[in-house]
Formats: sequence, C-alpha cells, structure tokens
Amino acid sequence: MNLNLKANKINTYDAIVVGSGMTGGMAAKELTERGMQVLMIERGREVKHIEDYDTAMKAPWEFEHRGKVSVQSAEEYWANSRFGTLANEETGGFFTDDKKNPYIEKRPFDWIRAYHTGGKSMHWGRQSYRMNRQDFEANAKEGIAIDWPIRYEDLEPWYTHVEKFVGISGQAEGWEVLPDGHYLPAMPMSAPELYFRETMMQKLKRPVTIGRIANLTKPQPWHTDLGRASCQYRSKCARGCPYGGYYSSLSGSIPAARKTEKLTMLHDTIVSEVIYDDKTKKAKGVRVINQNTMAVEEFFAKIIFLNAGSMNSAALLLNSKSDRFPTGLGNDSDQVGRNIMDHHLGVGANATVEGFENDYVFGQRPNALYIPRFRNWGADKKQFLRGYGYQGGASKSDWKRGITMNGFGADFKEDMTRPGTWTMGFGGFGEILPDPSNRMILDKEKKDKWGIPLIVFDAAFGENELTMRKDMMESAVEMLEVAGFKNVAGFNRTDTHPGLGIHDMGTARMGKDAKTSVLNKYNQLHACKNVFVTDGAAMVSSSCVNPSITYMAMTARAANHAVEELKKQNL
Amino acid sequence: MNRREAIQRVALLIGGTFSAPTLLAMENWDNTKNASGRAINLSDQQKLIIAEVAEMIIPKTSTPGAKDAGVPEFIVMMLRDCYKTPEQTIFSEGIQDLEKKGFLESDAAKRVELLTQIESDAARQIAAASKVLPYWRLMKELTMLGYFTSEQGIRSSFDYTPIPGKLEMIQLKPNQKSFAY
Repeated sequence: MNLNLKANKINTYDAIVVGSGMTGGMAAKELTERGMQVLMIERGREVKHIEDYDTAMKAPWEFEHRGKVSVQSAEEYWANSRFGTLANEETGGFFTDDKKNPYIEKRPFDWIRAYHTGGKSMHWGRQSYRMNRQDFEANAKEGIAIDWPIRYEDLEPWYTHVEKFVGISGQAEGWEVLPDGHYLPAMPMSAPELYFRETMMQKLKRPVTIGRIANLTKPQPWHTDLGRASCQYRSKCARGCPYGGYYSSLSGSIPAARKTEKLTMLHDTIVSEVIYDDKTKKAKGVRVINQNTMAVEEFFAKIIFLNAGSMNSAALLLNSKSDRFPTGLGNDSDQVGRNIMDHHLGVGANATVEGFENDYVFGQRPNALYIPRFRNWGADKKQFLRGYGYQGGASKSDWKRGITMNGFGADFKEDMTRPGTWTMGFGGFGEILPDPSNRMILDKEKKDKWGIPLIVFDAAFGENELTMRKDMMESAVEMLEVAGFKNVAGFNRTDTHPGLGIHDMGTARMGKDAKTSVLNKYNQLHACKNVFVTDGAAMVSSSCVNPSITYMAMTARAANHAVEELKKQNL
Repeated sequence: MNRREAIQRVALLIGGTFSAPTLLAMENWDNTKNASGRAINLSDQQKLIIAEVAEMIIPKTSTPGAKDAGVPEFIVMMLRDCYKTPEQTIFSEGIQDLEKKGFLESDAAKRVELLTQIESDAARQIAAASKVLPYWRLMKELTMLGYFTSEQGIRSSFDYTPIPGKLEMIQLKPNQKSFAY
C-alpha cells in the first residue's frame, strides 16, 4: 500500500504527452511554458540533436550504396520502399523498420512511421501552409461528413504563434486561397521559374509562389537562443541538420521545453493504454511497456495529450477499454479509427526547358515552387469536389542525364562534368474526402511483441480522388505546354495507396456533436475532457495543403485551453 | 595458385596483361563484405569484361577513370546488394553476349563498335516500352553512379562544395564545372 502510494507520487506529473514528434514536441513546449510539469513519452529510441545525426556530414562516397536502397533494406522497410526511396542509407535512421513493426492491410496502406525522438518532424518535407477559410467551411457547404467545429479565425492567432516560433521562409502574396502567415525572407526562384511564374499568371491566371518552408533564411533571436542557425543550402535535411537550419522537435520545441526545466522525457516506452477512472469520469494516467525490458509501469497526470501520430493515437484510444468505454476510450460515436484521410500524390508532369543556358544556381535549395489550388475555386467548377496544389520546380541537369543519353568515352565523360539543360516538373497533392468506410481497427487476435493488438487498415482512394487525379495530370501537362517547354510528359502512378503522403489523418475527428465526432472544438474527448488529441487524428477534412503547421497551431491552441481550464479547476 | 596468378592466367589466355588498376580492382572483389543480397555468378573473364566496359564508358584521361575510382567492384557489389534476380540475369546475359562476340579479344576500334551496337539496340528496346531495362542501361547507370559519386570522380570532375552556406542565382562562367554537394 505504502509502496504504491510512493510510486504514484514519483510517477505523477501535471501533464503527460504521448509522442515527441511534430505535435508532441509542440504540446510539451506550450504546456511547460505555461508552468506544467510535463512527462513526454516516446516509444522509440532516443536521438540527440546534432550528436546523433550520424550521416549528416558524410560525403556521397561514404555511403556504400550511394543512396540506393539494398534488397535487404527494402524488405525491412517494405512499406517505405513500395513507391520509391524514402528510407535509404542517408535517412534510414529516421524511419521505422516495417518488418519489426508489422501491421495488417485489408486494403493496401503505405504506413510510414518514425519511432524515435522527434518522430516524423525529423524527415518532414517542411512545407508550411495555412488552411484557408473555405477549407473549414467546405464540409458544411457541400454536405460532406460533418462540419468543422472551428473556423479559420479560431486558428489564426495560433498559426501566427507557431509560425514565428518555427521560422518559415516564404513570400506573402495576398491570395485568399493561400492565406499569408509570418515569414522569414523567401528563397529565390531560378530564372526559368521566374519566367514560369509570370507566364502562368498572364496566360492562365494561376498563381505560382516559392515554397513556404520551415528552414531558417534569417534566424531570429528566439531561434538563435535555441542554438539554431541559418540554412546552409545543402538540402540534406532528412539526415538531421547539425545547424538546426530546419525545424524539428529536436531543433525547436524540445529545447524550448527543456529550458523551462519542467520537461521529463522517457524513451523506449510504449503507451499501451490510457487509464480511465470511473469515479472521477476522467483519465488518470497511462500504462506503458518498456520496449526493451518489457517492464510495465503506470504514470499519472491531470491532463493527457495524445500526439502519437494519427493512426497510433486512434489505436491507443481503441486499445483503452473500460466498463464505461467498451469499444475504446472516447469512442461513443464509433468514429475512432474512421475517416482516414491523407493527400494523394504521384501524379504530375515533367518537361525540358529550352534557353536559360547561362543561368545556374549556387547552393542546393531545399525547397520548391508552390502552385496553390485553382480547381473549384472562384468561378472554376469541375466534376470533382475540392482541389489540389502542386509542388515542383526547375533544375539544371547534372551528370545523371548521361544515363539515358547515348554516348561513352572521353568526350562523354568531359561533357558530364558540366551542367546540362534545365528541366522542370511538378507533382500534385490532392485533397481526400472523409469517408467513414476508410478506417483502421485493431486485430482481435494478432498482437505485436509487446502484446498490443496490430492495426488493420481498410482504406482506399474514392471516385472523387481518382477523377481528380486525371485532372491533376492533365493540368500539369497543360501548364508546362502553355509555358512553351518541350518533351512534356504527364504521369499518374497507380502504385500509390493512402498513407504514402505521410499526411495520414482524420481518425478521431473534431465536431460539435458528440454523437458524430470524437473531439470537441478544443481537441478534448467529448466524453473524457482531460484527454486531448492534437495530432492529425483531429482533422475533419484534409484540405490540400501540407498539414503540419495546422496540427501545430491546433496543438498550441489546445494546450493553452487545457491550462486555462486547469486554472479554473474545470479539469 | 593465388588470386593474382589466376587473374594473370586469364590475361595470358586472352593474349595480354592487365594494368595495375585492373588488378587492384579484381583483388578488391574478394574484399567486398556485408553481403546482403545474392551474389551473381561471374567468371574472372566476365569480371574483366565489366572492368573494360566501365573504363570505356569513363576512361582515364587527365582525370581518373572508372577503374581508378573502383567502379568495377562497385558494380558487382551493387548487383549483389541492390538488384534482384531478373536484373541480375539480364546483366549476366549482357556480359555473356559480349563474351561470345569476342569483346576481350577485340582491338580498341572493334570494342567501340560492339558497344555502339549494344547501345543502339538498348535504345530501341527502351523505346519499344520494354519493362525490363536492358544490360547496357544497367551497366551505364552503375558505371556513372559508381564514378560520379566516388571521391576521385567527384573531386576531379566537379566543383565540390559540401557546405554552400548560401543560395544564389548566378551566371555560368566559361568552362564552368557543375557544382557537387
């Protein structure tokens, strides 16, 4: 009895944050800065900023397979390797071995995970766009799924708050479709890209801007205070940046939380369930398993933030069963695990660019152009709902052009040492509509090595997405042709599945009505208000913009609300 | 008979001797480690063909050639680690074909003629939308990858700038080399 009380005291915090990725890091920062003692629990290995970036400073020749994926690695990282190279010798440390962490596919699902400190914030694409006003209203207007319980205005101050902290380089443009945020100086466009931007605006009235990206072009004092420096234009971000040039939990939110001296971190610790207390009608803590020693332990807190990644946060709810919640914590609506969304991609076009022979670039820009949604926007009306954005740009070809050229020998070799012609291409990121039949459940029998049920995925693209894809390819071809580029070739890959966008979301949606949604407008479980889910699981629709900055804004807003409610003794 | 003697014997069979880089390359084949894929079966003569073809694609000039940069053993290692049976088979058949055509016994002009022929055959095959890449494409890609990502290849071919520190749109100077990062 005494022992238990003692253990409870040692293991008790103000808040528990499950996960250390994009939103877990932000939750820890926001909560500790508001005076909370926070326990952050990461299921994977510990990665230390800078010192554990093993590959960051390696030269190309120091990688045995020079960036190609070995057969063995492709088997271990099978979900990663289906489409192309994600986990290779340079970046593999920041992806998860799929063979050791299996899941079940009723229909194919490309589930890309990152079990280590920082999660997917280590290898994210860093593109950071605000959702626009219509994104929050479209479901209600079109009668799709349910309405968002919040509007753009609710999130606006929190976008500002996280944008400034994260540090985003970009160009304010004043376009309603792509609301402006707070930006560090934009990265420059190349000569063919400037030409393309002008031509698209003149001939098609389609805006083109430089990517809004979480790389520091001009660090502010609050960045340098955390030890972050300017981007060095190596474009090797996914190896981990020793300069802290791009934002990750490791370069940003975790150091900020540590400064408060209120953060405790646990690694190698898998949260198996959230413990519900029927007396208080609240969650009282979490049960965890050490992934190496298998030791089971419990931790307690007044509030619990689930930031395990959309699919894992939903799985954690489903696995947290009690008399009150026999189908999983907060699952009265039966919506936990449903409405899986992502962004569909692998569709676009490429071309070669004539001219601009003397234009060249010094440095590697870790960024691309962004072409915001133009479909079903304003007067435009298509046979499908919603829209897509494009990301891509121009680059001057290097020696790799020689692989598909004819030629060999001394002259060929010499030619390959000089830059070739420009090429340009881009690919789309399409919005996916919420559909309750796109879902994940827990398998009734199969478990992982820690005794936690395996996730079964049962999701696919719908008619709206497939129709949209045709237009995504055709419009990409059209734009490159209108620009006068040559050898324009469209592509629409059929070997992509939900998940590949690594924007998997929607499995614990927010909503006004507890009967049809899992979370309220502050990301609290309707039926268990001291549990917050602020990763992508909360999304009610997917928009077509990269979601991380939205998740972070939601997280900061929810953390602020949680602390206010605690002060009012409402939690 | 040790490895070097065995290789020299192959050389005698085809009426010549090997240069130091070739010998070094062939000895390195014995040292490739961490076998993760399935090794492809190649005779010493076939390995010689790989080395000679790689050197013809990227010959030694005022800068190092494919052999100097360790490309022949890189190709064999890559075939073992990063390719599956279908590609390995195509590659082996491509080498066997060169063997049958007497590549090693041919003089320099005849060798160029042989490679020019398989290059145009490969281009036709790719244009016909064949799903599998022909031998020539595999050989050329692996040779170029091996060379232009090797230390010798990068330092001698490009303006190697691992930490640019800035991003600038610039104008090419006459004879400017590509940047490598």
